[in-house]
Amino acid sequence: MNLPLYEQLALALTAGVLRGAVYALVALGIVLVFRGSGIFNFAQAEFGTTGLFAAYWALEIKGWGYPTSFLFGMGVAIALGLLTERLVIHPLRDSSRVTLLVGTAGVALAAIGFQFWWFNETLVMSMPKINEAFFMTPWGAVVTVQELITLGVLAVVAVGLALFFRSPSGLAIQAAQQEPVASELVGISVRRVSMLTWGIAAALGGLAGILAGPYLTFSAGFLSFGAVGALLPGFMAAVLAGMRSMPGAVAGGLLVGCIEQLSSLSILDGAVPGAGALVLFVFLLGVLLVRPQGIFVGKVATA
Amino acid sequence: MSVLEIDDVSIHFGGVKALQHIALRAGEWEIVGIIGPNGAGKTTLFNCITGFYTPTSGTVRYRGKDISNLPVHARTALGLGRTFQNVGLVKNTTVLENLCTAQHLQVAYDPVSGILGLPATFVEESRVAVRARQILELMSLEHIALERVADLPYGMQKRVEIAAVLATDPDVLLLDEPGSGMGPEEAHDLGDLLLTLRKEFGLTIVMIDHHVPLVTRISDYVYCLNFGEVLAQGTPDVVRRHPEVVKAYMGTDETDEPGEAGGAGSPATPQPGAHRSEEYA
Amino acid sequence: MTISSRSGSPGPDAAEETTVIPVVPAQDGADETTTLPPIDVPVLEDEEFEPQADRDATFRPSRAGWAARSAVWLVLAWFVLAFPVNFLSPFTLGVSDVSAASEAAIFAIVGLSLNVLLGYAGQISLGHQAFVGIGAFTSAYVVVDLEMGFWFAVAVASGLGLVQAAILGAVSLRLTGLYFALVTLAFGNFAQQTVFAIPELTGGEGGKEAPRPAMFDSDYSYYFLCLGFLAVVLFLDWRLTRSKAGRALQALRENPRVASSYGINVKAYTLLAFAVSGLFAGLAGALMAHHDEVIVNQKFGFQLALLFVLMTVVGGLRSRSGVVIGSAFFALLHSGHLLSLLEPVTQTIFRFSLVDFITGTIGLPIEFVALVIGPILLLLTITMYPGGIGQQIAPIREWMLGRRFDRHAGKVTEVEVNDVRA
Repeated sequence: MNLPLYEQLALALTAGVLRGAVYALVALGIVLVFRGSGIFNFAQAEFGTTGLFAAYWALEIKGWGYPTSFLFGMGVAIALGLLTERLVIHPLRDSSRVTLLVGTAGVALAAIGFQFWWFNETLVMSMPKINEAFFMTPWGAVVTVQELITLGVLAVVAVGLALFFRSPSGLAIQAAQQEPVASELVGISVRRVSMLTWGIAAALGGLAGILAGPYLTFSAGFLSFGAVGALLPGFMAAVLAGMRSMPGAVAGGLLVGCIEQLSSLSILDGAVPGAGALVLFVFLLGVLLVRPQGIFVGKVATA
Repeated sequence: MSVLEIDDVSIHFGGVKALQHIALRAGEWEIVGIIGPNGAGKTTLFNCITGFYTPTSGTVRYRGKDISNLPVHARTALGLGRTFQNVGLVKNTTVLENLCTAQHLQVAYDPVSGILGLPATFVEESRVAVRARQILELMSLEHIALERVADLPYGMQKRVEIAAVLATDPDVLLLDEPGSGMGPEEAHDLGDLLLTLRKEFGLTIVMIDHHVPLVTRISDYVYCLNFGEVLAQGTPDVVRRHPEVVKAYMGTDETDEPGEAGGAGSPATPQPGAHRSEEYA
Repeated sequence: MTISSRSGSPGPDAAEETTVIPVVPAQDGADETTTLPPIDVPVLEDEEFEPQADRDATFRPSRAGWAARSAVWLVLAWFVLAFPVNFLSPFTLGVSDVSAASEAAIFAIVGLSLNVLLGYAGQISLGHQAFVGIGAFTSAYVVVDLEMGFWFAVAVASGLGLVQAAILGAVSLRLTGLYFALVTLAFGNFAQQTVFAIPELTGGEGGKEAPRPAMFDSDYSYYFLCLGFLAVVLFLDWRLTRSKAGRALQALRENPRVASSYGINVKAYTLLAFAVSGLFAGLAGALMAHHDEVIVNQKFGFQLALLFVLMTVVGGLRSRSGVVIGSAFFALLHSGHLLSLLEPVTQTIFRFSLVDFITGTIGLPIEFVALVIGPILLLLTITMYPGGIGQQIAPIREWMLGRRFDRHAGKVTEVEVNDVRA
């Protein structure tokens, strides 16, 4: 690594934005759930891994086509999200926040356990990309088409969510979140809104998982703390967004990706092992202690 | 010298001026009543006195000492004891435990010795329990010592709360609506209780309450707050006849018998009000 | 005497005016024996309320009752002290089983450590494996690289655990509970990827040697060493809950406002909880290092942190016996020894192989059993039995302590705690 610094910087930022797209998808789901029910959803990333495992199973074991497998994976992720809402979140709705947090962590662990169980023979899996092509940027970064697809999906999802929250059902969700009792009175089913929230969040997780899975090899718990450990960065992005703002979550995800990659600069690398984790830890502490209300909060958290 | 002196205290939350230039005094062994409509800033004032809020400006003095910047627990250590509007107790545990917890500052060992289980701490623990029982006995609550607070009826919780505050060994009692949820008769008994406690423990009492008969009967001096300002102050009779107060707050209470103020426990204090002006502005 | 132990005498000017207040000077040492003077406190109108708690206060077990209880205590003592070393035992356990029992004792210490934070202080830690791991590597480092004694190493590891937990605790004071959980997660991640990757400290991939002292070289004696430390931790935890610190933590967990108005320094006591938790975790780490003899950094991953939370919650927060049983259960499940111990039992009684059933019929390798069963138990616990194992065994525990057998003992009825309006 004896490239000039600016070139390293360009490489790091490219990698950071691409990786950050995955974080942003996870962060969107986290923000959505937090706005809906005030819960830190530690199962968010595992919705993704479970969806990825389902897609992998459909594609590699069953031999279904890529689109079918993709949809199947999404379906499984959404089903897991809805099951979580029904079986864990709903029964615990009156419990303390910490209990709920332990509950979602339990869901994550259970999902990881079942992933192990499902594929206990193949410990490391790899899934083909949607498009295997890649190219090189003028500054020497290798960019795969798959990563660009993820970035594109993120953009579409972000715009889609913004539009959705201006539609009648989106407004109903917001109303139910802000005034549950009053909403119930005017005929909005808070229960259905909660299901909808978790369903959308799980779908976002599923997207992140199935799109990021082919980047590298994967195994159980992949999206939480595997090769693309997006859980912690996703939470950091959500914190940057003040846990409320959707555009903030996107911006936060990209920023966290870049910051993490900056630690691979040669001036830092080698000095400490695992500099990425160190940088993320310090960054999270800094944000929480200096600006706990977040950075990318926007004027009002409407979209 | 006043026990408690609040000088020119104001507090703003964003643009909301919750309290403006409040001045209040409580002399030794006085019972000071604070009345006023909901949202007048009464509890906010208590929070400034006990340290939950730091006033935007102004000072809070305790026996001449400026305590405006002390944290809550340090003010408790000085002798400010406080009850809450909706019962301030550790509800998931027993009455006895609450009274032991409230004696925190009087426990004569440091926490580390307690964890190490040094022999002296066992002795001290039994002393703490005995004292808790004594206070309960005093308040006629010994029969519920082992009940969980959350299982008790509201009125009884209110009394346990007063017992717990007594266990903190206060010089000044700040009672936030001790009579809430009580009927006229219970409120009357509560008044007797407070007068007795003052007599026995030498307490100064500052009390927020909506039971105007209760406040006027036992208080030596009354403040009426409205919109974060002192609307009127003076002896109970003066305040209850004050036209502004009548207009703002308690027009209907005019029908009460005026003679009640000199009731059961005649104040053992120097005649209050002598050292201050009768009207606020 | 007055009820005041401070010089509660009113100000000088007022004291002259009155004669009603009986100010008796506090007599040194005699305080415990003097009772308060009977005063005439008006009794407020009692609402209709039947006290429940005192009902069984006079209950004493009969002679047969005592005998039954003693028998159960003896069996328990045999199970903990004699069974693992094949004393008076119908089974023969191998050395690896004893080693697993030591690990169970160590996990129990970790569980109690987490219980202090999660149960007493109400702070969640998702990075507890970092405290344990740092304790482990510190102890190994002190013994191997600094060539100091084992006991000194244990003390250093515990002390370091205390300090790092207190530092993290200082951070927690500025954050609300959920955000703090994130910080611990990031801290665990950082420790795992950065600190545990320093080869000088952790020996890199191959692991770090952590020899045992000569006296506890055998797995049997090491088991009793772990048991001894567990007993010490249990004692400290017991005294913590029964002294002013425990009461202070209980108050501040449920309601910080009330706690501070009781005169409790909320920040200081939160820090104290962290320190105690870190101390226990560091101790457990040191014991774990010398238990494994070669300690590898892969051991301290995020999954271990989750396993710790799991076993503590399933064991039952704030229940010492529950946490110990839960931790031991998960330790044995984790290492696969629980199944191999149960195997002969199910073979002889049900003529059924549990291991074959799980690995064959269900297709679940032994090493993943804890990972699959654990979360299910966790979710069942928090949705249906919030008191965990501690709640389930409460009737037996009460009975063994000489009280009446009450099926409903230990029922956790969490009261919704609203913040006190102030």
